[in-house]
Amino acid sequence: MTCLELQQDYGAYSLGVADNPERTEIDEHLARGCPNCVPGVRNARTTVAVLATAVKIAEPPARLRRRVIAMVTPQEEERRFTMLPWAVAGLLAVALIAVAISVRRPAAPDTARLDQALSVLNDPAAKDVSFGDPAARGRVFVSPGQGIVLIAAHLPKLDANRTFELWVIPTKGNPIPAGTFRSGADATALYVRPGPVENAAAVAVTVEPEGGSPQPTTAPFIVTKL
Amino acid sequence: MMIPGLLLALELSGENDEALARRLQCREPQAMADLYDRFGRLVYSVVLSIVREPAVAEDLVQETFLRVWNRVHGFDAARGALGPWILAIARNRAIDHIRSVGSRMDRNSFEFDAREHPSLFVDMEREVFNTDHARIIRAALAKLSANQQKVIELAYYEGLSQTEIAERMDQPLGTVKTWVRAALKHLRDELGQEAVA
Repeated sequence: MTCLELQQDYGAYSLGVADNPERTEIDEHLARGCPNCVPGVRNARTTVAVLATAVKIAEPPARLRRRVIAMVTPQEEERRFTMLPWAVAGLLAVALIAVAISVRRPAAPDTARLDQALSVLNDPAAKDVSFGDPAARGRVFVSPGQGIVLIAAHLPKLDANRTFELWVIPTKGNPIPAGTFRSGADATALYVRPGPVENAAAVAVTVEPEGGSPQPTTAPFIVTKL
Repeated sequence: MMIPGLLLALELSGENDEALARRLQCREPQAMADLYDRFGRLVYSVVLSIVREPAVAEDLVQETFLRVWNRVHGFDAARGALGPWILAIARNRAIDHIRSVGSRMDRNSFEFDAREHPSLFVDMEREVFNTDHARIIRAALAKLSANQQKVIELAYYEGLSQTEIAERMDQPLGTVKTWVRAALKHLRDELGQEAVA
């Protein structure tokens, strides 16, 4: 189709409601950097973006800000645990977390993280699964309402520009990113991902480029079916 | 008490996109806090208006910000528009959710991924979320015919394709397309050249 024919569908395309063949045709024009369609769709996208300001403004709960920030707070110092016999982890998880979280950081963030971990472990609905692959072993707690706690040892060594990424594997659909973390010098990690976990069939861990990936780019080395 | 619109405008008028995007690319957790402070309320409001369940909206907002964090390295800090990008991600996540709940999975997540690629938000006007635009767009929406308003609502808040809208409204597809085109043209015209240039 020609640009002239497509231009009246720039708006529907930008709104995400265009049907084929127009949708595919515009995709193709954009992919080849069409000098007419690229600016045309950009302008239409601006109009669609402004539609957001017409919604009724709602007040998000304060905890949402904490959840968003917690996702990207560095984990390696606070969440690693050292000097603990690994076998203890499966026996007394609450005590493990209380002892394991580093005390080198200011008290407030650790307290918040401990609270998050405890809220997961205290949830009667939380699932508790051990994994024992030779490459890494540990335990994962998944609370549908509170979040995920992952305790792992014998983690593989990471290059400087790589990170571990936790994934929630839903019963249907693509893996959902659940945050990144690194291990301590002793190859252990305690990672807490607060927030509801819906329809999780499994959790997995992969090695990803620093900052994480929207979808796994490597095969998971931990997969725990829930 | 400050009215929500003014409060929103103050939030959105903070640090410029380029500086904030560069701090996000440097993996500064505080940049995430600043991003949330700037766009969190609007993102939450848009998502909630689509999914209508606060708990679900919270999860999707969290996912939206995580997606920004994970993909910001592909964002052109010098030329990209952060606000439109993050709002597109948020709306896609919300529509993806209601479509999956409603078993309407013909347009899958991969397609949404393509529609929120950061490269698509290069050279867009950055300061699109302001009180002037909010006032203009609300007035423009109010001037639409009932059918035009309905198709925009079904498209924006439910993510229905034009074919699905035609089925829902029991109207010919051609008629629905005409309503969508006319409605969006009216909105674009009302926003004026400066908003779409």
